Amino acid sequence: MAPPGARTRAGIDPRTGDPRLFRQVLGRPDGLAGIAILTVFTGFALAPDLLAGPLQTAVTASGPRLAPPSLAFPLGTDELGRSIANLTIHATRISMVIGLLATLITVFIGAGLGIVSGFVGGRLDALTMRIADFFLVIPTFVLAIILVSIIRDVLGTGSREIFGIRLSLIVIVIVIGITSWSATARIIRAQTLSLRERAFVDRARVIGASGPHIMRRHILPNVTNLIVANAVLTFAGAVLTETTLSFVGLGDPFQPSWGQLLEAARSVGAPGLGAWWYFLPAGICIVLVVFAFTLVGSALDDILNPKRRGRR
Amino acid sequence: MSGSEPVATRALPRLAERSAPLLEVEGLRTHFQLGHETVHAVDGVSFRLERGEALGIAGESGCGKTTTALSLIGLLPPNARIVEGSIKLYGIDLATRSETALRRYRWREIAIVFQGAMNALNPVRRILDQVAEPMVQRLGTGEREAHEKAGDLLELVGIPRARARAYPHQLSGGMRQRAMIAMALACDPAIVIGDEPTTALDVMIQAQILELLQRLQKQLGLSLILITHDLSVIAETCDRVMIMYAGLVAEEGAVAEVFTRPRHPYTQRLLAAIPNIHAERRTLETIPGSPPDLRYPPPGCRFAPRCPVAMDICRIEVPSEVRFADGVRVACHHYPAGSDGTPVTLPTDAPYGTR
Amino acid sequence: MGARYLAGRLATAGVTILLIVLLNFILFRALPGSPERLLLGRIPGVTQQVLESTKARWGLDKPLFPDQFVAYITSTAQGDLGFSYGARGRPVTDVIGQRLGPTLLLFGLGEIVAVIVGLALGAYSGWKRGGVFDYLGNGLSLILYSTPYFLLGMGLLLLFATGLGWFPTFGMVTAGATYAGPLEYLADLGSHLALPLATVSLGLVGQYAIVMRSSVVETLSEDYVTTARAMGLRDGRVLRSHALPNALLPTVTLVAINLGYVVAGAITVEVVFNWPGLGTLTVNALSSRDYPVLQGVFLLLSVGVVFANLVADLVYGLLDPRVRA
Repeated sequence: MAPPGARTRAGIDPRTGDPRLFRQVLGRPDGLAGIAILTVFTGFALAPDLLAGPLQTAVTASGPRLAPPSLAFPLGTDELGRSIANLTIHATRISMVIGLLATLITVFIGAGLGIVSGFVGGRLDALTMRIADFFLVIPTFVLAIILVSIIRDVLGTGSREIFGIRLSLIVIVIVIGITSWSATARIIRAQTLSLRERAFVDRARVIGASGPHIMRRHILPNVTNLIVANAVLTFAGAVLTETTLSFVGLGDPFQPSWGQLLEAARSVGAPGLGAWWYFLPAGICIVLVVFAFTLVGSALDDILNPKRRGRR
Repeated sequence: MSGSEPVATRALPRLAERSAPLLEVEGLRTHFQLGHETVHAVDGVSFRLERGEALGIAGESGCGKTTTALSLIGLLPPNARIVEGSIKLYGIDLATRSETALRRYRWREIAIVFQGAMNALNPVRRILDQVAEPMVQRLGTGEREAHEKAGDLLELVGIPRARARAYPHQLSGGMRQRAMIAMALACDPAIVIGDEPTTALDVMIQAQILELLQRLQKQLGLSLILITHDLSVIAETCDRVMIMYAGLVAEEGAVAEVFTRPRHPYTQRLLAAIPNIHAERRTLETIPGSPPDLRYPPPGCRFAPRCPVAMDICRIEVPSEVRFADGVRVACHHYPAGSDGTPVTLPTDAPYGTR
Repeated sequence: MGARYLAGRLATAGVTILLIVLLNFILFRALPGSPERLLLGRIPGVTQQVLESTKARWGLDKPLFPDQFVAYITSTAQGDLGFSYGARGRPVTDVIGQRLGPTLLLFGLGEIVAVIVGLALGAYSGWKRGGVFDYLGNGLSLILYSTPYFLLGMGLLLLFATGLGWFPTFGMVTAGATYAGPLEYLADLGSHLALPLATVSLGLVGQYAIVMRSSVVETLSEDYVTTARAMGLRDGRVLRSHALPNALLPTVTLVAINLGYVVAGAITVEVVFNWPGLGTLTVNALSSRDYPVLQGVFLLLSVGVVFANLVADLVYGLLDPRVRA
């Protein structure tokens, strides 16, 4: 086995190649706990009908209104008589898929810009980073609110779905993507800058490889681990952002996410009425999922950052 | 800071024994705890330091020289401890003292200058304040007086008063090292330990710093312990040298003796590895292999795996230290007690370095 | 403080504000879909004539650049942010101004409390590394970090207001109350402020504690701290004089960077407690599509964050001599 840090021809450190990385994460207590929690929620997201039956609507609601948990309704009911358990489990799919899609967009834009900007350098780099800094400074949440409403007003409402998610929520996905890429871009760019100076890149240049080729074949494999680590934390952030956007009223009552459930709870006055069963389940799910992502992210950070592991 | 006072009139700590040697270390063992494993970083080191003397401690990275120094002032990391041995400063055993008691002796009796001036100075405070701080905190000197004296000290080490109000990042590497030396002298210590004081400095600055240390030693009657992997530094500045290997002492004696007539095979190889401008051209000698993993030190002599003249007994039994007439101490089976101490010849016919 | 550093920071702030104004302009004038339709929202009975007169009134029939843009900039600079529909044509500046105070109160106090408590906890945690306090604190901070502020708020409301009845459940002051004197007013205000303040502070404390802790741990392993210990200085002095001033530096940066994110939390906390500040204003404007107000809030908050960042940069310059040019 090559000693840690050994370079293969393409410059990839075999110690942290992707499959090994996953196993390393599982080997740590925080990584293991995080993955376990996320697996459970992925299960909910993939097969909500199996677990709780089809999503209840105002029409199919059969329970008493705003009733506390009982044998028939283990998590109580909402103001329309729907089972909270049913709603919460179905909301898993919505929240997770939105989070996933938003993360994909964020990471794609962020890593793409980061690699290109870092590699090409010069004016392009300066300009890109100025824009990234701009997005880091302004309160992107308010911007997101405005963007979502404008885009929805322009596109109109409808019941088309992409990836099983209604258009109105896809708008949220896109807006999160275009407002959250800055942090990722900065991180990936920093790594690209340091990789650019390494010998194997010079070698590639000397034999006449083109910029895009180098970026794809040499830089990209070496930032993959960093991208993965960043994507994990981005996912957590995306879930939180979607939740908050839904909470201020931008959710879709036909496809409730956890945030949408919380908004419904608040507008009914659940906390004031003592109806804890309405918002606690969704709330706990959010905390658990974000916490799990943070755990995995922290495990990845420790693995990929040997400096952190004890000194001298 | 008067330079002409004889050393003997320095005020001694309350518990000191007047007749005791300045520093006497006996059988020091310091171990690190890494998870379930123990690293035997220092495993039986003894030496003595007299007043006004300069002792150099040399060896490869990881041989235990810095750990020895840190053990002296009790600044070991939390996972390390002195498991055995004594460190007697004026006869006072520091190894058994509590942290609070030890603190009393720090800087006032033993001061240390760390390597790599990059981060050894607080980046957000001025040099003058940092040199004055130990005076104010440890000696109870008034603020103004301390700043005056700090300015004097900085001038003594070659930093003009005008630069004293600078921040560390505004000074060059050489000047930062000088500032640290000034800081070390603030409480007029008996011993100054320099841990790789000239590594990371270029050769010209290195020479200046060494010359400064020598001058200060004579002027102030300091005792120096110089820790370095660079034998030429020791040859220039020190009176005695102690060669360490894998946590143990290989050879120790006067610089003049050890460097002209090295006995221990490791010492011979170390000296042979120094390129000599004056000698005839030859391929540089290196010592093949690397030092042992101190979690599992080999039985017998620790240098045996790399030694060109290792015998069978070397792999079985740890050699004991033997002192010869010229004052040199060696731990090697080629020099058993009672032998005449003639250096053993190593297989290659390259001449070992001479001065 | 180097003049160059100061000038550089001011210039950057200025450029950013300009970009914000530009963005604001683009959002409402240059996006597809006629702006006048957006401006009128979904008011029924919009005839062509109304559209035309709105266009003229807002100057939307003129070309985007430079006419509309210049007009927009001048009117913004003069403090004219347009008129709100929701508030029956009141100037946006009025509407926003009325809500600014409560938000500053809640938010400002919340940050102060969080900074003090968070830094203290983090420093203690970092100093006593590995103890029970450290692990508990770390775990708690992580969980708090994963919890949206409004969820915290709802939980606190449920527990302390509805459940225990210690605090009122909404608003800033009791509606329609009269007070015998300022003390009574303050008491009423205080009891309404308690839970939202606790929510904002709790939400922030976790992050500050975590960053401060890792900053302290990092600083404590630096050589100059070892030197300070080697000098025989007492632990308290080492911490106060050497470790903390250096450990504070990343935290100052964090507080500033965080402001952009915390805005989201602040808005939602106000909603939960019906606190009459910018947050509830934003959400109401959102549901009624009162775009001028939304624009105004965005401008105000963005400029506010830029300004706060500038202040943080200056404070950082005061603390760290290495960045002063």
